Amino acid sequence: MKIKTLEEILKKKSSKTEFAILTNLENGDSEIYLPGTSPKGEFSKYADEIENFFKSKKNGVIENSEIFVETYIKPIKVIIVGAVHIAQYLVDFAKSLNFEISIIDPRGYFASEQRFPDIKVINKWPKEAFEEIETNSSTALIALTHDPKIDDPALQYALKNKFYYIGALGSKKTHENRCQRLAEAGFTNDEINSIHGPIGIKLGGKSAPEIALSIIAQLVSETYKK
Amino acid sequence: MKNSFDEKILDEAQDWINANQKVVLATVIQTWGSSPRQVGSRMIVNEKGDFSGSVSGGCVESAVVSECLSLIKDNKPCKKIEFKVSNESAWEVGLACGGEIAVYIEQIH
Repeated sequence: MKIKTLEEILKKKSSKTEFAILTNLENGDSEIYLPGTSPKGEFSKYADEIENFFKSKKNGVIENSEIFVETYIKPIKVIIVGAVHIAQYLVDFAKSLNFEISIIDPRGYFASEQRFPDIKVINKWPKEAFEEIETNSSTALIALTHDPKIDDPALQYALKNKFYYIGALGSKKTHENRCQRLAEAGFTNDEINSIHGPIGIKLGGKSAPEIALSIIAQLVSETYKK
Repeated sequence: MKNSFDEKILDEAQDWINANQKVVLATVIQTWGSSPRQVGSRMIVNEKGDFSGSVSGGCVESAVVSECLSLIKDNKPCKKIEFKVSNESAWEVGLACGGEIAVYIEQIH
């Protein structure tokens, strides 16, 4: 691989562009492929196979060839509502797991850059904050404030936009009340039951990093179920 | 769904190159049977034999490091190496999982 190709790969990764690296295993030539374009030179006769690899987000050697395809997909977007202590540990885990985190909190003393360096922190109420984030059914929401004023509008937004994972912190009682409010707001039982509440898998721990671990474990597990 | 779970090995490769080190990139390109790391898993090796990342669960890394060092020494661009249970050298370094993997090594130049 040429240094120039490596630099181009890193540039594409940091701009969150989806692409594939094509390598000719015989002579070591490699090239970056962007979906929807035609592969250049020696790779051009495998255009259909390359496109198929890209669509199925697969890595591998094209059959009966010496061409290796490696696809790079965008990291999963995870929106955390509540710039609280648990969120700081979630950010740590997300770094190694390559989730892309944004944090929403209208409370300025929580949503400070000093508490969350290098993370997109939106110091606004959820309704306005969601105008700044592009979301789709591959987005996850983790609601941590257990304050209905802040969590509820975010949960409603996530349900309406069919996020693949929605979790909300709070005791069983807090969650029952939350479900009640969502029902009154017109959400169906199926929608309400899709929320993971109380959030996280059962680990038994009660400290902030332990709760963060239980949440991130549930998030990873749900990512592979969908 | 699938996350990218990017291990940032290429980012590290760039740091090594910026520090004037010779870098060989090793990538798992094919697997058969039960292999610990999936296709696309990466590892980098420099001319001193330092390495980062992985292509197996610790089974064949030492063999990959020596192959990478030979690549630098012979100044070859790339090589494909297969580790099979029947392959004696792989057996020695201990691909105990019973799987087979093909690793592609290439100099970044």
